[in-house]
Amino acid sequence: MHRLAQTSSFRLAIVFALIFALCFSALLTITYLTTSSTMNEQARDRILEDSRWLIAEITSDGLDSARSDIGERLLHTGSTAYYYLSDGNGRKLAGNLIRMTAFSGWREGPFRESEVHDVELSAGKNHELWGQGTKLEDGSFLFVGQDVFSINMAQRAIIHSFAWSIGIAFLVASIAGFIASRGFLRRIDAINTTSSAIIEGRLKERIPVRGTYDEMDRLSANLNRLFDSNQSLLESLTQVTTNIAHDLRSPLSRLWHGLEGSRAARSTKKSYEAAIDAAIVECRQLLKTFSGLLRIAEIESGSLKTTFRRTKISGTVERVTNIYAAVAEDHNKKLCASITPNLFIHGDGDLLFQMFVNLVENAIRHTPARTEINLSLTRDGQYIVAEIADSGEGIPAEEREKVFERFYRLDRSRSTPGSGLGLSLASAVAGLHGVQIGLEDNHPGLRAVIRFPACPDSATRPDT
Amino acid sequence: MSQDDLKTQLTVRRAKSREAHERLVARAEPAKSARILLIEDDESAAQFILEGLKQHDYVTEHVSNGKVGLFLAAREDYDVLIIDRMLPGLDGLSIVKMLRATGHQAPAIFLTTMSGINDRVQGLDAGADDYLVKPFAFAELLARITALLRRPPMSEVGRILHAGDLEMDLFKRTVRRAGKTIELQPQEFRLLEYLIRNKDRVVTRAMLLENVWDFDFDPETSVVETHISRLRVKIDKGFGSELLRTVRGVGYCLHVDA
Repeated sequence: MHRLAQTSSFRLAIVFALIFALCFSALLTITYLTTSSTMNEQARDRILEDSRWLIAEITSDGLDSARSDIGERLLHTGSTAYYYLSDGNGRKLAGNLIRMTAFSGWREGPFRESEVHDVELSAGKNHELWGQGTKLEDGSFLFVGQDVFSINMAQRAIIHSFAWSIGIAFLVASIAGFIASRGFLRRIDAINTTSSAIIEGRLKERIPVRGTYDEMDRLSANLNRLFDSNQSLLESLTQVTTNIAHDLRSPLSRLWHGLEGSRAARSTKKSYEAAIDAAIVECRQLLKTFSGLLRIAEIESGSLKTTFRRTKISGTVERVTNIYAAVAEDHNKKLCASITPNLFIHGDGDLLFQMFVNLVENAIRHTPARTEINLSLTRDGQYIVAEIADSGEGIPAEEREKVFERFYRLDRSRSTPGSGLGLSLASAVAGLHGVQIGLEDNHPGLRAVIRFPACPDSATRPDT
Repeated sequence: MSQDDLKTQLTVRRAKSREAHERLVARAEPAKSARILLIEDDESAAQFILEGLKQHDYVTEHVSNGKVGLFLAAREDYDVLIIDRMLPGLDGLSIVKMLRATGHQAPAIFLTTMSGINDRVQGLDAGADDYLVKPFAFAELLARITALLRRPPMSEVGRILHAGDLEMDLFKRTVRRAGKTIELQPQEFRLLEYLIRNKDRVVTRAMLLENVWDFDFDPETSVVETHISRLRVKIDKGFGSELLRTVRGVGYCLHVDA
């Protein structure tokens, strides 16, 4: 309950209920004041009208006529009308009040018990006598009045019903707020429980999603995606750390053994120099590996997405072909390209260049002589499809996913020099662009396929 | 071409080029009294650089504080500034920005461990002329300093470039040697243009990758060697003297006999 009172939605509900009640009260107060003043006005008008009528009668027909009139009225009207008529000597002539001291003007409110002859009136409770007294020229006195009990009762009833409605409205608003908060709280709790579980190391926990596509659902889905990427980052971190430890061990031991071996042997200056040169080459290779790892890490962090822009991917692939056709030829292979001009995607040109370079280099380095490598870039509806296909030995289906792991090498290519990072980097670049490198069987050989979403105006706009 | 083939080829070339290399290094010696300011707080790195520069007869001054470095660079007239990016007092990026903002045009080269993808661009945007990631071979730094020292003629915009009997027309995109037209692929043309602009200076493999092919990474295949050997066949084969030479362990040089 305490926590409930702390939730912002509950507080909001209470505030809204209060504002609602306040507005409601203001409205009802205005209604009450108008209604009751109209009712009072009407009662007063009736009394004054009656009084004027009787005075006119007294003036024209004399006291006796008025007296019989009053008697008749008392017979016919209900018990709420009150009259009193006295002559010039103060003697009561007619009326249902015992005695009344002559006065002139309007009088409301309590009358002395001696003035009224009525059980209920004198009891006072909710009974009130309003009336007009008139002293006539001959000394006689007329009082016309009314017990406003029914008006008072009506007003009280209005006040009561208003109080109830405000109370109920407030209660309903609060309960609704309470229920809404509890639902909200439960979903927040689910998020909290999941987050705590993940902090404690249960990385596979996820927030349940209801499928209602409301804000909470979208929040949960987003957090789940965050947890997904967190999990895969942690897993890749573990994998990378382990692989680095393993894979840096061999060049480091080569370095060490080379230096130690040359020191132990009775060597000439020349062989010392050779050993130093070999050590420098080994260091360079190590540094290159480190640069590769750092670059992959930088790409995978996703921070480079901020510099994405409309990039002419046709130009990028053409550049790769222009540079590598000769390189492939030197390796006794053939690089053929078929590139649709003026295709654009949203991305980073330099990184895409490196991705294609790595894929082409991979094809050049890991295929037998006289292999044909085909590089193509085509448009397929909303996609731009890049393919790098070779007729080499290909990659066994079960190993296709693994080749993107850092330092992973197929058995047959273990002897080929290289960092083992080329495909990881290509895959990281593709991942940064929100796409994947699909590896397929080219019968024979390997076909790498990347499907980029095209920039909307691709191939329709002139060069930029 | 396998790695071994490449090695054999390189060894043959090395023997041939050793003599040329020695001559080249001698030639690459700075014009008298070329002064270099090194702003570097890492003592061992600074010693390594100073030692090397001294061997090549450069006049060097070294400071390890960024503010002092800025003061010196602004007051004295240096031929090249070598600046670490991360320094006590004032970082290298700010030093170069301030120098450029106040009209100091001395060529500057950044030395840095910051090898992030956008770091190089940032450094060059700040107004530096080159960017070298640590650790590096001294020969690499030396080649870059040499390239910077001869900056004024390099930035000249002329229609025809000359290197000995080699002539390059930048507008017509044609190359002639000894009056004979040489057909070049666009890649080879770019490579030759860079080499001519840096004639008689050693250019390293990394410099070629960065400036000719816009690589900001080290490829796994022999991109540079392939294009160099093709260019060499086209511009040297059948001509009396060898222009394009391999400088062992460092890079290449378009050597013009004086």
